[in-house]
Amino acid sequence: MILVYLLTLPFIASLLAPFLNPKKATHLLSLSFLIPFVGALASLAMLSTQEINLVSFSPPVGDFYILIDPISNAFGLTVCIVSAMVAYYSLPYMQHRFEEMGLGSDEYRKYIIIFGFYAASMLWLVYSGNLVLLYIFLEISLITSFLLIYLYGYGNRRWVGILYFIWTNVAGVLMLIGFIVVALDNSSLAIRDISAISMVAWLLIFVGMVIKLPGLGPHIWLPWAHAEAPTPVSALLSPLTVGLAGYILLRAYLIDPSFIIAYRNPILVYAIISSIYAGFAVFRQTDYKRLLAYSTVSQMGYILIGLCLGTFGLIGVVIQYMSHAFGKSILFMTAGGLIASYHGLRDIRKMGGLHEYVPSLSNAALLGFMNLGGILAIGMFGEFFILRGVVDVFSLANVGLILAIVFIFILSGWYSFYTLKKIFYGTPKAMERPKISRYLDVPLYLIGILSIIFIFPPLITMLLNGLKAVIGGGV
Amino acid sequence: MALMALELGLTNSLLLISIIILTLGAAFSIKDRRIGFIASIIAIVVSVASLTAETYFYGVFVAAIGLLNIFCLYISQNQIKGIDYALVALMVLATVWVILSNNFAVILATFVLVSVPTYVLVLTGEKDLKLEVGIKYITFMVFATVLFLIGSLLLVFSSQVFSAQASPILYIIGYVFLILGLSLEVGVAPLHEWVPDVFAAADAIPISIVASLAKIVPFIVAFKILIATSTPLTESITLFTAFLAVVSMFVGNIGALTSREHGRVLGYSTVANMGYVLATLVAIVRLEFVYLAIAGALLQLFANSAGKIGFFTAIKKEGMGSPFTYALALSFIGMPPLMGFWSKLFITLSLVNSGYLWLAVLLVLNSAISVPYYLRLARELGKGRGTGIVNLIGLLVTLLVIVTLYPPDWFLQGVKGVVVMFGISGISGIS
Repeated sequence: MILVYLLTLPFIASLLAPFLNPKKATHLLSLSFLIPFVGALASLAMLSTQEINLVSFSPPVGDFYILIDPISNAFGLTVCIVSAMVAYYSLPYMQHRFEEMGLGSDEYRKYIIIFGFYAASMLWLVYSGNLVLLYIFLEISLITSFLLIYLYGYGNRRWVGILYFIWTNVAGVLMLIGFIVVALDNSSLAIRDISAISMVAWLLIFVGMVIKLPGLGPHIWLPWAHAEAPTPVSALLSPLTVGLAGYILLRAYLIDPSFIIAYRNPILVYAIISSIYAGFAVFRQTDYKRLLAYSTVSQMGYILIGLCLGTFGLIGVVIQYMSHAFGKSILFMTAGGLIASYHGLRDIRKMGGLHEYVPSLSNAALLGFMNLGGILAIGMFGEFFILRGVVDVFSLANVGLILAIVFIFILSGWYSFYTLKKIFYGTPKAMERPKISRYLDVPLYLIGILSIIFIFPPLITMLLNGLKAVIGGGV
Repeated sequence: MALMALELGLTNSLLLISIIILTLGAAFSIKDRRIGFIASIIAIVVSVASLTAETYFYGVFVAAIGLLNIFCLYISQNQIKGIDYALVALMVLATVWVILSNNFAVILATFVLVSVPTYVLVLTGEKDLKLEVGIKYITFMVFATVLFLIGSLLLVFSSQVFSAQASPILYIIGYVFLILGLSLEVGVAPLHEWVPDVFAAADAIPISIVASLAKIVPFIVAFKILIATSTPLTESITLFTAFLAVVSMFVGNIGALTSREHGRVLGYSTVANMGYVLATLVAIVRLEFVYLAIAGALLQLFANSAGKIGFFTAIKKEGMGSPFTYALALSFIGMPPLMGFWSKLFITLSLVNSGYLWLAVLLVLNSAISVPYYLRLARELGKGRGTGIVNLIGLLVTLLVIVTLYPPDWFLQGVKGVVVMFGISGISGIS
């Protein structure tokens, strides 16, 4: 119950922040995300499952309520911690960006309110107990992130902003039509009252979410948007926003898995191809942020794969979301650190041996790639549960499939260390050693440490018990 | 029953009082135009006081739009200063009246009452009379009114005199005439010929009234007549309406995407918006969910009105604060929690309920392709900081589209209460 009040803090803080000076505003906003983080963690520890009514609405829309269960807590705490850390990181980074664009530091007021609403809407999305409410927060997160790209992005930012807006808006509205068909069949959109999702509705939701996730094909918008967004926005877009499509599919699956079960094999094949294609595409990139964007496409393939693999796969989806969020936010922030220190340096061909000059960023990048590769970080459990799901659903005899999935895991580790070597190791090029603001590296380590302590009890047992309680299956 | 009669009596006398107030105001505004201004505002307030609990929110929205129109007229110049306020107040009265009345003669009269004042308003301009545009507009409107009236008479006649089986041809001709008249009146493609031209050439403030307040009554009248005369035949002929709605959405959005001039873009945007609203008329095939369609249509008309008033004022005064133009553009696009989202949500829900999934999909697709031009409008009109008075209007219209921050179940409930009384006294459909 207390958690509901804690969830309103980010909105209040975003409205208050513009009246403070940039430093105080940043601390206030970060704090407003750290408090619900603790709340979500506590709620996860207590395995609490609650429904708290907000507004009653007549059919076919149904009641608006807040849904608290271990799944939303797991997503919620990830959103909170990443948003809080990225907010700290924004302070020096955006001031650097405003100088570059010739804007005054007053612009920070505008930035912080949009940023706060963006992060807060994602937090509310994962606690929404009504599909219309969920859609509302999805679209608020879309508008705010669009504005941030449009106002402060790099390159051809207006064009990229509109490209991003149109693609993800189409994704959102397809999902909405799916929801409306659900409303017709169940005469309610409250998650607790929905008993069945018809095939037409599932198809619309699925296609919409594959555009947003994105899968291979509709992924063309993502490298542009994630590369050209200002880095703190990339550090929320890629780790948090796109993965929420996975959250929505997961919720739909828990209501009625018929569609995924009926088309399990084609979806699985598509997800594997998507993941492998994007994994190889990573090697071709010369822009660090674009490289990370392709890696996101590859990692989101894991989520689709997990969705097809029964209860273990679903647990894998949740853990994969967390691990990718931790890892990718760290990596985007290292990319931003390089941009801020070396005046817009993004071209990998001009990098090399940077460990000599920016050891703190280099070590943070190592933590980030460990998460992506599933090495000694929470991603390890994600990969474990996905593999367990394959064995469970398809049995050990299906060697080809197991090998394909193992290959994806190896590919992730492979491109991770390839990138690390290209950028941070190897022969140092002639560069200067910059002075890096503490705000640009401490947040990265905090996320990194969290991602590692999550593989030890009591956190991992708590998480798994919670997920097991909602999703089912033996752990 | 006695109480209801008393209530209706009170309503009618309040409406009568407001007519007297605004007429006197218009007459005395020859001395000082502020008399007309104040009298019109009082007349609007009195007319809203006449409303019942179910129609209360509807009345407040209509009054808000009317007051905004009057306020925009107040800050600009034209040849009939003083009378123009009364004309808008008269349109507000007609719009309030149409929701309450079930009398066939009255609702047809309201249709004419919102149409005729716009003939005069379109002619006016800052410096000289806009004769050419005015004549073009009036010609189309007269034609529209005649078609609409003939259509409604045929419909009512066919349902009263013969049974539906006896005169399907008469019913179908009536239905088609009514829809065509309505389309011509509000600007649904392919009868939208006049819209972009008039919107681009006329003075921005009068045209913002044509684009906002004048659009509400025709749809309510159409709903009332079509509900009262609905027969099993309606189900097949409805496809005609659905077809027009789709054509209008595409023509409007594609036209707006390819136009540069702001007035013309807004004209095409009206064509597209009227397509969305026209689509709700298909919901008559299943009357149990028609309240969703009407609630959606009304909210869409209100959101459209707020947006048009805001944008046209921005055109007239060359710029408005960008937060307001973006809020209006996002409402047009259908972003939650703004009003444009809820209207489209209700419309799509009603379409899916009536078995028109394809129409719902096309509608949603259309609101997606409208994104670029609305954002362009927001960017280009939101350039300067604007003057104080423009930003005040911007703030007011923005408030109008964000009242749905509190999920508008309240509006839906109100409409649900009103719709049971929709129809025409003495006529009941055979469905």
